[in-house]
Amino acid sequence: MPPTIIRDLSDTSGYWAAIWTMCPMPDVHVICDAPVGCFNLVGTAVPDYTDAVPHIENLTPATMTEQEVGGKGTADKVKWTYDNLAASGVLDGKQVIVVSTAESEMIGSDHSSLVKHLGVGTRFYYSNSLAEDEWAGRDRVLRWLWSEYGEPHAAGIAVKPTAVNIIGPTYGCFNAPSELKELKRLIEGAGGTINLVYPYAATAEQTPQLAAGAVNVVLYREFGMGLANELGKPVLTAPFGMRDTTTFVRELGKLLGTSVQAEAFIAHEKKTTLQAVWDLWRGPQGDWFSTIDVGIVAGLSHTEGLVRFLGDELGMKISFAAARPRRPGDYDNEGIRQHIHKRAPAFLFGSMNERIYLREAGARHTNYLAAAFPGPAVRRAVGTPFVGYRGCVYVVQEIVNRLYDGLLNFLPVDGAYAAQRSPAANPAAVESKGNLPWSNDARLLLDRELEKLPYLPRISASRQLQMLIEGLARQRGASEVTVELVEIGLVQNKQ
Amino acid sequence: MAEIIPLNGSNAPSQSAPCKLHPQSMCPAFGSLRILTRIEGSHPVMATDTGCLYGLTFVTHFYGASKSIVAPTLGTAELMSGQVVEGTRAAIDVAAKEPGAKLIPVVSLCVAETAGMPEELLPRKVGDAEVVLVRVPAYAIHSHPEAKDIAVAALLNRLAEREGAVNEKSVVLLGEVFPADPLAIDAVLRRMGVSETIFLPGRSLEDFRRAGRAGALAPLHPFYKESMNVARTWGMPVVGGAPVGITGTAAWLKSVGNALKLNPELVQQVIDEEREKAQAIVTARPLSGRVLVTGYEGTELAYARMLVEAGAEVPYVSTSIGQDPLVLPDELWLKAHGTKEVVYRKALEEDVSALDRYQPDLVFGTTPFASVAKERGIPAMYFTNQLASRPFFLSSGMTATIDFVAGVLTKSDRYRWMQEFFAE
Repeated sequence: MPPTIIRDLSDTSGYWAAIWTMCPMPDVHVICDAPVGCFNLVGTAVPDYTDAVPHIENLTPATMTEQEVGGKGTADKVKWTYDNLAASGVLDGKQVIVVSTAESEMIGSDHSSLVKHLGVGTRFYYSNSLAEDEWAGRDRVLRWLWSEYGEPHAAGIAVKPTAVNIIGPTYGCFNAPSELKELKRLIEGAGGTINLVYPYAATAEQTPQLAAGAVNVVLYREFGMGLANELGKPVLTAPFGMRDTTTFVRELGKLLGTSVQAEAFIAHEKKTTLQAVWDLWRGPQGDWFSTIDVGIVAGLSHTEGLVRFLGDELGMKISFAAARPRRPGDYDNEGIRQHIHKRAPAFLFGSMNERIYLREAGARHTNYLAAAFPGPAVRRAVGTPFVGYRGCVYVVQEIVNRLYDGLLNFLPVDGAYAAQRSPAANPAAVESKGNLPWSNDARLLLDRELEKLPYLPRISASRQLQMLIEGLARQRGASEVTVELVEIGLVQNKQ
Repeated sequence: MAEIIPLNGSNAPSQSAPCKLHPQSMCPAFGSLRILTRIEGSHPVMATDTGCLYGLTFVTHFYGASKSIVAPTLGTAELMSGQVVEGTRAAIDVAAKEPGAKLIPVVSLCVAETAGMPEELLPRKVGDAEVVLVRVPAYAIHSHPEAKDIAVAALLNRLAEREGAVNEKSVVLLGEVFPADPLAIDAVLRRMGVSETIFLPGRSLEDFRRAGRAGALAPLHPFYKESMNVARTWGMPVVGGAPVGITGTAAWLKSVGNALKLNPELVQQVIDEEREKAQAIVTARPLSGRVLVTGYEGTELAYARMLVEAGAEVPYVSTSIGQDPLVLPDELWLKAHGTKEVVYRKALEEDVSALDRYQPDLVFGTTPFASVAKERGIPAMYFTNQLASRPFFLSSGMTATIDFVAGVLTKSDRYRWMQEFFAE
């Protein structure tokens, strides 16, 4: 089998999944069997940009050096780290978990016996980092947490009739605070009460309380289904778009026996939160929707949710949608890159990777909207959901405001101001001396080039390019615009 | 491969000195990736596992360059069946197809190095692109700055052109510096009679080629030891120190003059001018206050030295790099001017313990340490973002850095207010 090549990896490993899933719980302390880099990246460098936290405080490395890799093994270092942490007091009252990394797995470190000789309750989690991605990884960590800290203590816990668990987020989940806030609002609107938000706002000690939930809602379908199914209660997933959200609230009302409240909530939301969508639809903004093409690269829930809302409900053209983890037929990054290089859509939901591809393509007319990691983003304000009714309003509001920005950026500014800032700018090039005639081929070439642009910016770009090319023609004293001049103008325009 | 220095000296829990539990360095490999992605025509291939790849591309795409990075899939299946080299070769072929590809650095990390990456099984060149292996496993390199050195040394070894006449009055300056610094250094050196300066690492691959025919090599940062060794094998004179502060600048300019055999009178004249300017800056705006300088960039001692010359008290300096003869002059100078502790390969615990002991007015630290200081209402900033990203060298750099530090020292009320607000 030929080797497979990764371009700009978008899904991280089982090790990251373990740290991101375990460490939000304040009564857990993780010792990672790791070289300094594996500790720094997941513990300090990246959580600054995914979750806007200065560093993950309940994570300590058993720092692996060449001695350990070269044959000594990492057991002594893990023990040394454990002993010193314990001596400093930070492990008091904590569940300690030793987690493997790709490198420790590479050298065959298995500490399942060693942990039995450390403090009582210390456990070893094999993150299977050389084989598992972050999605399968998180799913397995959640099941493991339930089997270690939950299920054995859950026997006597009674189900509370309207209690709902939310499974997910963990650290490193795009837009988690906003999605969580909206999901809670929907659950409460439908008549439910929030039991546990696991693991994001829970403790390891509370894990058995998962058994009290009458319904489990999985926030990011990319992971968490495994735990939800093991809990053995009805399972719903977080809704995106107006139809899906309505179905979700209605379904939850039925499951909890609160249908009257759920229906009242839906009716009230249509008159309040969702009025914004109705108003924009009835207004001139709605006329643009069918002219917009959208590319989507995001986690599975967000990808399918945006396709449903923007494509099925608002009628935008979905030029491509690639989920993480990839579904059969989804583009990999190579495919996404080629698509963007060839024809960038008017709107692109994605990650830092798609941003790079847009810059490579010089696609200045595409509006980029962050919808996934990797990429630095602060998403701590809770008013920017993609989920639920509020998500519909937020997403469509963002799109319309970007359209306004685009239009504003294309309005002409009097050229004299540019000349004042920089004598090199030549306002004379802009002065109209009447239209120059264009050869047939030159006009066809310009038309073909404009065709590649998104619909709205095309009008303004058309005028701008015409002026640029005619300016070049005049500078050269040409009496007609030729194909050569258009080619030169197109190159200059891209610089 | 860099010399291996164990991170922990002892295996027994120590009762006195703080225990080095949380080492403070960016993933070492990032130092090399940052340099390698910024070069025009360079298209890196990373040989590593997916967790490492994710983290390193994440930070590289934010702090390095907007450059697509390819890698072979190295999971259990590939590692167990010995496909590391085969996969890497396939990734090199993909990278070589990028427009204008001139360099393909193969950045070999922990997992690939452990599995084995024999250089002789990689091509030396594909099309127009040189393929250069850069080995930076975190378990052996230990710090982010030292990995920069590994990358620069690898490129010099492969690319530097030694044939042709040596440009005897030219000098190669090593170190990632603020864009204004090369202009200032070049201007001062030309006044002394230097004909050309080459700053590495920068955007141009050609500069690595030209570096082989320079008259001397001057690392501006004290961790370019592998690169210095390359120059030494060529018989190229190496100038230590850096044009930092009053005394540091004078000593450095003199060393450059000696190495390039410049006119001593002219050199002395330039030294006097620079000394006068630098002295005037310090006299006009002396610093007062106690500052801890605790980054991971490997340049912390030089910054501390400048701050002390400007009047600040710097009792404690810590860095991610190991102790080395290159850093020794700064360490000795600092200790002769009131610095009580200089810590190498530091850990968070040591910095926090210094915070307890010295009660500083200002901290320049790593993000975890700066956040600890802010939790106590002490003004604190991330060294990398705030200090290492301003002009620093010669009198012009001194103005920029000292003005900035003086400004931050007046902000203590805000840090205290914020701490009290959130403590309530």
